[in-house]
Amino acid sequence: MLVYVIRRVGYMIVALLALTLITFFLMKQAPGSFLTINIMQSGLQTSGHSSYSMDVLQEWSERYHIGEPWYMEYWGYLKGILTWDFGTSFQYPNTPIMSLLVKAFPISLGIALSSIILGLLISIPVGIFAAMRRNTWADSGAMFFSMLGTSIPAYILAVFLIMVFSLYLHWLPSMGWRDLKNYVIPVLALALPMTGSMSRYMRTSLVENLNKDYATTVIAKGGSKRDVIYRHVLRNSLIPLITIIGPHLAGMLMGTVMIEFMFGIPGMGQLFNNAAGSRDYPLIMVSTFLYTLVIMVMNLLVDIIYGLLDPRIRRSGMSD
Amino acid sequence: MSTPVSLDLHGTDLPDMKLRKNSLWRMRFQIFCRNKIAVVGACFVLLLVICALFAPWITPYSYEKGSVLEAFEKPSLAHLLGTDAIGRDVFSRLIYSLRNACIVGFGAQLIELTLGLFIGAIAGYVGGRTDSILMRVVDIVYGFPSFLLSIILIILLGHNIWAVLIAVAATSWVGMARVVRGQVLTVRQSEYIDAARAMGANWWQILTRYVLPNSMGPVLVAAAFGIPANMMVESGLSLVGLGLQPPTPSWGSIIADGQKGIFSYPYLLVYPSLLFAITLLSFTYLGDGLRDAFDSREA
Repeated sequence: MLVYVIRRVGYMIVALLALTLITFFLMKQAPGSFLTINIMQSGLQTSGHSSYSMDVLQEWSERYHIGEPWYMEYWGYLKGILTWDFGTSFQYPNTPIMSLLVKAFPISLGIALSSIILGLLISIPVGIFAAMRRNTWADSGAMFFSMLGTSIPAYILAVFLIMVFSLYLHWLPSMGWRDLKNYVIPVLALALPMTGSMSRYMRTSLVENLNKDYATTVIAKGGSKRDVIYRHVLRNSLIPLITIIGPHLAGMLMGTVMIEFMFGIPGMGQLFNNAAGSRDYPLIMVSTFLYTLVIMVMNLLVDIIYGLLDPRIRRSGMSD
Repeated sequence: MSTPVSLDLHGTDLPDMKLRKNSLWRMRFQIFCRNKIAVVGACFVLLLVICALFAPWITPYSYEKGSVLEAFEKPSLAHLLGTDAIGRDVFSRLIYSLRNACIVGFGAQLIELTLGLFIGAIAGYVGGRTDSILMRVVDIVYGFPSFLLSIILIILLGHNIWAVLIAVAATSWVGMARVVRGQVLTVRQSEYIDAARAMGANWWQILTRYVLPNSMGPVLVAAAFGIPANMMVESGLSLVGLGLQPPTPSWGSIIADGQKGIFSYPYLLVYPSLLFAITLLSFTYLGDGLRDAFDSREA
């Protein structure tokens, strides 16, 4: 187990290094990138960067050793990440990037996590329901709705939710970010598409376990279908569900970029979106790195929890 | 002791084999037709593709020019889905955004298929160190936040449709490579591959004549599911204002515009969203039907 974790962490570091290299070179190629201009030689006003604060540009050119070979520039970028000191961005010359992130990140993570929890709370009962009434209208109905969920993205669902809850019922605000009411539609919009594939997965996993010998034994001993599911099969079927939380979290964090834009939520997605829109390269580089870090750490945690819960994998030392 | 029976099968065998080859596809077609929703989805996809191809002849108005005098008109016979804030016909804009979505959806899928087939087949067939190096690369790209990487690529390439196409394909080919590799790995172990090798076929013949054709089922299914996914990314990018730039229409930007006037002009938001949802659904059902048809376990 320990060996497995160490190997995974090592692999994660390699992947993150690859990501920083790729973003660095992409940013270096980007039009009007601060990585390509030499402030000492060309006037800022002429290069169209009049909107940038002179101090910030000065700071970045020193930080990234502009004008020196690329590996020195890259090292400047890497050093910022390693020392967890991200400097200031072009858009907000008076606030360090770190304090922007500290404000924005908990909002996005909160939305993503509550959506996943809500998604699980919906999809587990739906999966059980469909598996218990397998091959009936109830099963096919539940699976039809899960199909709807998988094929419609969160931002389209958000439109319909706004239509119902804000336009016709006047229950919830259509956008903004003040109180708990603002939470509801974004979280629902992110959670419902996820329940599609999750309840399907839950159903398949339950059906698979119901066909196994131990389930047959329970029925042979006189247990009811309810007994089999709630006391024996459910526990074994929940474990594989954990594995798909990781990939879903990644998708969810990407979904928040669009949902935060639609609802005007001041989270990470909005921050990244603004940075990309105004070509705030330092902020783009840092937030891309942070997004990837969070997604990879989450995936690692999910895999470790999975290993701890499933004794078969725990013993085999997680060779995969 | 059994006497070697010499039947003159040469005359009868050939048409029989031909029939059998036909009947596999016919069987798949029959299974596909049994799934009624999939057939409806397929028909709708066909209709959409035709609309996208013949957009200039179908649309009654220009997608970029409108008259301010006709702004915010309710749906009528003259403007089927009404007009937007600067008097542009929403129906015409929707057809053109469908066209753009199809270009990105199908075009990116074509790139994904090419890259995926090439890298997946090499990794699966050659195996060994080549496989592990290629798959490490695939794993690393797979782990990236794809949407962010697409945005960065678009910043780099400019906000035109080809940049969006490349940005979408660049992050999603890895899924296809994984599917192809998995299929090639399974097919490679079949006896008929051994037989072909024993007959003296070289690796290129084995790969192109036996391995790839027999791996096609799941690859086709993945491609069918990949097209709506590409469309989602395309309009997601436009929704946040980083994809296609106005006046080029995209579902995402139409929805973002519609959301601004939601309380006064809800029809500007409802119809585009509904049409987009139906489009994505029909692609998904088409993929679902294909999966049933190609999955021998369920057949």
